[in-house]
Amino acid sequence: MKKLLLIISVLLAFSFASKAENLRILAEAGDEATLTVAIAQFEEANPGVTVEASYLGWDDFMSTIKLKMADNNPPDLAHGNQGFTVDGTLIQSGLVVSLEKYADQYGWKDLFASGALAEFMWSDDGATWGSGSLYGISPVAEDVIVYYNKNKLKSLGLSVPTNFDEFENALKVSKDAGELPIALGGADGWPIIHVWGLVEGAYVDPNQTRSWIFNAKNTDFSTSDRMMAAQKLADMASAGYFGSDSLGVGYDDANATFMDGQGVFNLTGTWMTADFNSGMGDNVGAFAMPRASGGVAGGGSFALPWHISSKSANPDLAAKFINHLMSNDFVDDLMGVGRVPAQSPTIDPTSNLQAEVIAASNALVGANAKTFYTDWATPGMYDTVTQELQKVIGGAASAQEFMDAMAAESVN
Amino acid sequence: MKNIYRPQSKIDYSSYLYILPAFIFYLLFVFFPLVDTFFNSFTEWNGIAEKKWVGLEQYAKNLANKKITSSIKHSFILIIFYSFLPIILGLLIAGLMIRVKVKGMSTYRAILFLPQILSMIVVGIAWRWIYAPKGPLNSGLDFFGLEEVSRAWLGSFDYSLPFVGLIGTWVMFGFTMILFIAGVQKIPSELYDAAKVDGAGAISEFFNVTLPNLKGEIVVALVFTVTLALRNFDLIYITTGGGPGTSTMIPSMFIYKKAFQMNQVGSASSLGIMLTFLIFTLVSLILIIFRDKK
Repeated sequence: MKKLLLIISVLLAFSFASKAENLRILAEAGDEATLTVAIAQFEEANPGVTVEASYLGWDDFMSTIKLKMADNNPPDLAHGNQGFTVDGTLIQSGLVVSLEKYADQYGWKDLFASGALAEFMWSDDGATWGSGSLYGISPVAEDVIVYYNKNKLKSLGLSVPTNFDEFENALKVSKDAGELPIALGGADGWPIIHVWGLVEGAYVDPNQTRSWIFNAKNTDFSTSDRMMAAQKLADMASAGYFGSDSLGVGYDDANATFMDGQGVFNLTGTWMTADFNSGMGDNVGAFAMPRASGGVAGGGSFALPWHISSKSANPDLAAKFINHLMSNDFVDDLMGVGRVPAQSPTIDPTSNLQAEVIAASNALVGANAKTFYTDWATPGMYDTVTQELQKVIGGAASAQEFMDAMAAESVN
Repeated sequence: MKNIYRPQSKIDYSSYLYILPAFIFYLLFVFFPLVDTFFNSFTEWNGIAEKKWVGLEQYAKNLANKKITSSIKHSFILIIFYSFLPIILGLLIAGLMIRVKVKGMSTYRAILFLPQILSMIVVGIAWRWIYAPKGPLNSGLDFFGLEEVSRAWLGSFDYSLPFVGLIGTWVMFGFTMILFIAGVQKIPSELYDAAKVDGAGAISEFFNVTLPNLKGEIVVALVFTVTLALRNFDLIYITTGGGPGTSTMIPSMFIYKKAFQMNQVGSASSLGIMLTFLIFTLVSLILIIFRDKK
C-alpha cells in the first residue's frame, strides 16, 4: 500500500512538473514597459506558465539578434526588424517559423485592412518581400509625423498647415522671426531618414515608395517626383530651416532642446509621444504631414515584428502570447503605456497629445500613406542613406548627387 | 665514468606549464579568431548561412570601393594627430624639463598622463560635449567675440576629422611625454656637461644630445601610436560614427558596419586582414628605418 501511494504521488508530482511551461522572450528595450504589463496578465491567465523576458538596447539588439536566433538554445519569441538585413536573413536561414497557421487560428489578418501586413510577408525562401506568408506581427503602430510647439505656432500667427506649401511657408515665417524652424538631431544620421520620409511622401506616390522598398533592385528610384522631393529637401537645408548646427546635434539632444522650447516643428516618430507629453504638456501638438497635392504623407510602419523561433519547444505557447498582445483587450493597455495601438482603441486618449497623435495615425492608415523607412530597402541602405542625407543637410552634396548615390545603392 | 651533471642538456618541461594558461588564452582568443578571419576573408558569408568560397573577390571589391580607399586616407591623416603631434609635443616637454626645473613637476606629469588611463568611451563623450554647438569650446570662442569661428565642430565636413584627431593628440601626448622623460633621465649627465663645455645652447643641446639618445623611445612611441591611429575604432564610433557623410569614416568602422549591420562577414573579414597587413607593413617600415646600423 505504501509503495502504491509513493508511486501515485511521484506520478502526480511529475504531471504537475510537466505542466509548468516556460516561455523565453528576447525583446528590444523599447518594449519593456509594454511587456511587463502583458507578461503579468498572461501569467495570471495561464497558471503554470512562466515568462522570462530579457531586453537589449537598439544597437546591441540589432547587431546580435541573428546570432542569438542561430544559437542552439534561442529564445522562443523574439523581435526582428523589417527588411532583408534582419527578417530576410532569419527567414532565409530557416530560424523563424511562418505564422500563417496561427494567423488563421486567431484571426490576426482580419484585424487590419488587406495589404496592411505586407511588411511582414515573405516568400518562404526569404528572397521576396512584401507578399507571401506572414512571418511576423506587431500590435503597435509607429508613425512618423510632425510635432509642433503650440505657443510658438500661435505667436507666429500660423495655424496647422493643411498642405505642403503651407508647411513650407510656416518654416519661412519661423526662420524670418528668428526661430529654429525644425529641430533635427542630424549627428545621428537616422533622424534625417524620418525627415526625408515626410518630404518624399509629400511628392511621391506612397505605392511607388513601398514598391521600391520591397524590391529596390527592380524598382526605379530616380523618378521625377522623387527628384522634386530631393530638391525640396536640399532647398530647405540651404534656407537654414534645420539651423546651422543640426549635424553636430544628436537625436536625444535635439528632442531635449525641442522640449525646452527651441524649434517650432519636430519631424519624428510616435514613439516620442509619451516623452513630449511629459516634457511639454499642453504646449505640444501633432499632425500628419500634408502632401503637396492634398492628403497626408507619413513614414512609419508597425513596430518591430514578433517572430517565433523554429527551434522553440513550444511554438503554440509563443503564438498564444503573441495573440495576447494582439487581442482587443490589450489595446487599452498599450494606450496606458503611451504607445499607439495599430487597432482602434476603445478608451479615451490619456492626453491631448495622444488624441492628436492617434488622429494623425488614423489619417495615415486611412489614406494607406505609410511609407516605412528608406533604410529597409537593402542591407547597405542604412549607411548610404544616412551618409548621403547628412551631405544634403550640410550642403556637401546636391539633390542630384543624393539621387545618384541612392539609385546606385538600390541595385547594389 | 659518466658525468652526473649535464647542465642544459635536459629541458625543464615544468616551466612550460607556467605559460600554458596564457598560451591557451592566446590560442583561443587571438590565434584562432585570426585564422578564422583569414579563412572567412575568402568567402561570401552573412554570418549564419553556408559560407561560399569566392577566392580573392572580397579583396578586389574592397580595393575598388572608393569609400574604403578614402577611409584609409583618413587613417593616414589621423596618424599625424595620433602619432606625430604627440611625439613632437612629448619631445618638446622632455627637452624643456632638462633645462627648466619646475616645482611640483610630478603633479603636472600625473595630470598630463591622465587622459591615457581614461577609457576612450569616457574621453569620446567628454569631447563630444566640449565640441558641441553650445559646448565649452564655442562658449569660449563666443566670449572672446569669435562668433564667426564657432560652429558644430563634429558636424562640419571640413573640421570633423582634424578635431577628432586632436582628441587623439590629447590622449596620446601623456604617453609619449612619460616615455621621453623616462628616457631623458637615462642619458648620462656627462653628455650634457660636455655639451655645455662645448658651448651648446638649449637648441643645439636638444638636437645633439637629447634627440639621438631618445631614439629607442621614439621608435616605441611611433610603433604604439601609429598602430593605434590605424586600428582606432571607439573614439570615432562615439564622437561622429564616421560622419557627417563619410568625412571621418575609417576602415575599422567599415569592418563593424559590414559585419554587424550589413550581413557581410566575408567582406568585413577581408578588410580586417587588409588593415592588419597595413599595420604590419607600417610597423616593419618604422623598425627598418630606425634600426641600429652596426
